[in-house]
Amino acid sequence: MPWLTRVVGGIVGLVRRTRQEQDLDAELQEFLEMAIEDKVRAGLSREAAARAAHMELGSAAAVKDRVRDVGWEHVLETTWQDVRYAARTLRRTSGFTAVAVVALALAIGANTAIFSLINALMLRALPVSHPEQLVELLSVYPGEPRTQFFWWRHYEHFRDRNQSFSDVLAVARSRFNVSGEGLEPGAVEGEYVAGNFFTALGVRPFLGRVIDAADDQVGSPSAASAVVSWSYWTNRLHSDPAIVGKVLVLNDVPTTVVGVAPRAFAGLQVGLSPNLWVPAAMEPLVQRPSRRVDGTMTVGVMGRLKPGVTIEQALVEMRVLDRYRLEDMVKARQSAASVRGITIELEPAAAGFAALRDRFATSLLVLMAVVALLLLIACTNVASMLLARGAARQHEMALRVSLGAGRVRLVRQVLTEALLLAAMGSIVGIALASVGAETLARIMLSGRESLRLQQHVELLVQPDLHVLLFTTTVAVLTAVLFGAAPAWHAATSAPASSLRATAAGGETRSRRLFGKSLVVAQVALSVVLLSAASLFVHHLSNLRNQDFGFQRASLLLVTLDPANSGYPREQLFAPYQNLLSRLGEIPGVRSVTLSGVTPISGAGASRFISVEGFEEAADARRYVPLNWVGPQYFETFGTPLLAGRDFAFTDQGGPPVAIVNQAMARYYFGDKDPLGGRFQLVGPSNSGITGAPPDQVYTVIGVVGDAKYLDLREVPPRTIYLSAFQEPRMFANQFALRTTGRSAAVAGEVRRIVREELKTVPVAGVMTMDDLVDASVVPERVIATLSTFFGGLGATLAALGLYGLLAYTVTRRTTEIGIRIALGATRSDISRMVLRGALGLVCAGLVIGVPLALLSRRAASRVVADLPADSVWPLVLATAAMLAIALVAASLPARRAARVEPVDALRQ
Amino acid sequence: MPVEQKPSSLVQGTLHMLILKTLALEPMHGYGIGVRLEQISKGVFRVNAGSLFPALRRLERDGLIAGEWQVTENNRRGKYYALTAQGRATLKRETKDWEQQTAAIARILAASLGEL
Repeated sequence: MPWLTRVVGGIVGLVRRTRQEQDLDAELQEFLEMAIEDKVRAGLSREAAARAAHMELGSAAAVKDRVRDVGWEHVLETTWQDVRYAARTLRRTSGFTAVAVVALALAIGANTAIFSLINALMLRALPVSHPEQLVELLSVYPGEPRTQFFWWRHYEHFRDRNQSFSDVLAVARSRFNVSGEGLEPGAVEGEYVAGNFFTALGVRPFLGRVIDAADDQVGSPSAASAVVSWSYWTNRLHSDPAIVGKVLVLNDVPTTVVGVAPRAFAGLQVGLSPNLWVPAAMEPLVQRPSRRVDGTMTVGVMGRLKPGVTIEQALVEMRVLDRYRLEDMVKARQSAASVRGITIELEPAAAGFAALRDRFATSLLVLMAVVALLLLIACTNVASMLLARGAARQHEMALRVSLGAGRVRLVRQVLTEALLLAAMGSIVGIALASVGAETLARIMLSGRESLRLQQHVELLVQPDLHVLLFTTTVAVLTAVLFGAAPAWHAATSAPASSLRATAAGGETRSRRLFGKSLVVAQVALSVVLLSAASLFVHHLSNLRNQDFGFQRASLLLVTLDPANSGYPREQLFAPYQNLLSRLGEIPGVRSVTLSGVTPISGAGASRFISVEGFEEAADARRYVPLNWVGPQYFETFGTPLLAGRDFAFTDQGGPPVAIVNQAMARYYFGDKDPLGGRFQLVGPSNSGITGAPPDQVYTVIGVVGDAKYLDLREVPPRTIYLSAFQEPRMFANQFALRTTGRSAAVAGEVRRIVREELKTVPVAGVMTMDDLVDASVVPERVIATLSTFFGGLGATLAALGLYGLLAYTVTRRTTEIGIRIALGATRSDISRMVLRGALGLVCAGLVIGVPLALLSRRAASRVVADLPADSVWPLVLATAAMLAIALVAASLPARRAARVEPVDALRQ
Repeated sequence: MPVEQKPSSLVQGTLHMLILKTLALEPMHGYGIGVRLEQISKGVFRVNAGSLFPALRRLERDGLIAGEWQVTENNRRGKYYALTAQGRATLKRETKDWEQQTAAIARILAASLGEL
């Protein structure tokens, strides 16, 4: 094993270096002596012999160097020398080092932070066996986000008929009230899972056993079994080693804990960590009526591809099997229209269910592009600084070349410096990133009801091997990028000319041009970043300041939760009416109302309708969104009442009335007067709210302006408002108060009055409409804020680069400036000259940057929906900002140039 | 056997083999190896210190030779190198390879059209 001998030899060499050096010295000495003796014996004089022997041997130092070169440990030694030398150099120029490290740290940190989010959300594989074989089933309706939800009976159909998958598993989220011995009662997140869930995933229990197929039989005695998660077991069950066999009560059902899941396994949806898993067959014990039994329990479905089956092949089969689901849905919804266009899709699910990924992928990819640009700017910036410093170090390089330093060694030296800078930047950057990524994850997930779940979503972003590898790669690439130019320069520095040349004039034209082009590149990249940033800001402000169809300011939203209050819904009418009038008396409250649905909250209800005198093909029918509102709803929300009248409390008990919005009136009534028009709600409700008896006929009594319903990105849909006080039961628990001043100021008073009026009804939530709007635009806000910050940073770096170049140029041209002044140039001539030079560079940057910005804008608008990509303002703003920043950066060197004293300058 | 070696590596490899061969005759110090090579090759090979010592270091590193300080015939101290068992085996193998290669090269150089 020669390599082993070499490794050992190298280590021995390192350890016994002094000894080997002494040996070599002695050996060479002996060699010399023997040669001299030989020559004396051959008849030369002692003196001549010594001279001849020395000549033959050559430089003993060179021989020793070549001997040292033999071992690999030599590379270590010289590298260490390079590192120490680089560290010394960087310490000497601490100002430059600080700026470079900060620039690199921010850029590398930003990249690491965004990447760790992408990694956590999209790349990290589930801790199950062969995650790459997993695929998720998704249902796609054109124009809507794809969903992961299937009915249980469709799942069973897929599971039992398919040939593509070795296993198909299902999982449904649920919430359980848990109590048990030594356990504080409370709600926990849990999942109903199919019997093959754990075995199909290859997840083995940490303790006990996992749920198996026998447990997942409806009516099975072991249906009430639970596997608890490792973190629930440690945090809540005190790591009880005898937990297996103990009983927890889940929603009144005594459930036996059969096992503890392994530590690494936290379910199939990144960000949601269920506390326990129970068989789907337990659902009938908990839920009445059971949806598992009638087959409509909604589940997420994953399959494990059989070896050799591709996802495309599986998709072909699933499209066929999916016909069963579509026909079933047509039957259930009594409408072919609502099903047409629905298709099934398969998606690789090595990283788990796609829901969170789908929601945040766009934002994260946009941010990744932004920070990549920032990194490029930082690289260019550091390169230009290094190059300027390289000019100052030309003399040193030339000296080292003439003293015998090899060019390879010089390049290595410069690259070592670059790597050292990048390493320092990365270390600071990783520290920044770990804080930044956590914060960013928290902010991004704080938006309203991610995934329409009440559940808290938490993303673990701690760096793993992927992130570390990413950052290292980025750091090395950066170093190579910004070190390449100075390194190339070191390699080509001609010793003689450099040594001869004076510091001021020894600069080649090509090198000056290169320095300038680096500044131009920084300006160009910054313009791209700035224009993207202002585009995103523009987009955000468009979203927030668009016409919602209601007034968002000074609107307080209060949600009551009467579910466990002891009040039946049928008896809430009078208390709610009292509450409304009490709330209306609060000073500063202009009007107050209630509704079943809060606009743009992401939740809603809709039905098919049939309008008298309006013929509609069954296929053309669309769901119409509904809201149940109280009197003064439109006044409170600031939606204009265009015709007819508002609801009144006196409608209660009278003939059913409705108010429609303009879009609805225009579509169904056209030119006819909508007032007095009549319609019915038909088909099943999709919201679980089953109020009025079927075939109830509503009469239109008013028309109001269009307003956003589900989401603030949508076009206001045709909407029907029904009177909350005419329904048999009260569904409207969302109170809204229009205030004169800051609406949050009356929140305390509202809580107090609710406590007085309805002692047992808790206030489930208080927020302002402004909060709700803000919560709805979290991804856009994050993109806008971060891209503005990074854009500003990029522009600052570019300005710094420009400043550096100009300052250096002015120093170099001091003599010339002195001559100009002596020859009669005024001081303002001189500063104009410098500013003109700066303007030239910035304009060159703009000429390159603006088309790039246009291109990147097109790319961005393909990814981000509704981006105002046609607006010229972002680009104009970015250009103006860049010019302004550049002007500030250039003014300092310009002033210094103007202050040059001709006499001093000429004396230099 | 095809020969695809760069001149430099050929020379370096050759030097290693020649040193091994010299030491196979008897253990020797650095200067002696140089002199011996020159004598045997009748002055064709003159190895300078800049090539000799790195070669010795490399052979020693690879475990083919071992050095030991001894007293010389002229009562000086010298580092004597001797072949190790591994070195002996390497020399044998390299000698065989070399003979094959040179024989092949000789045949190619001596070839005339008539023989083909």
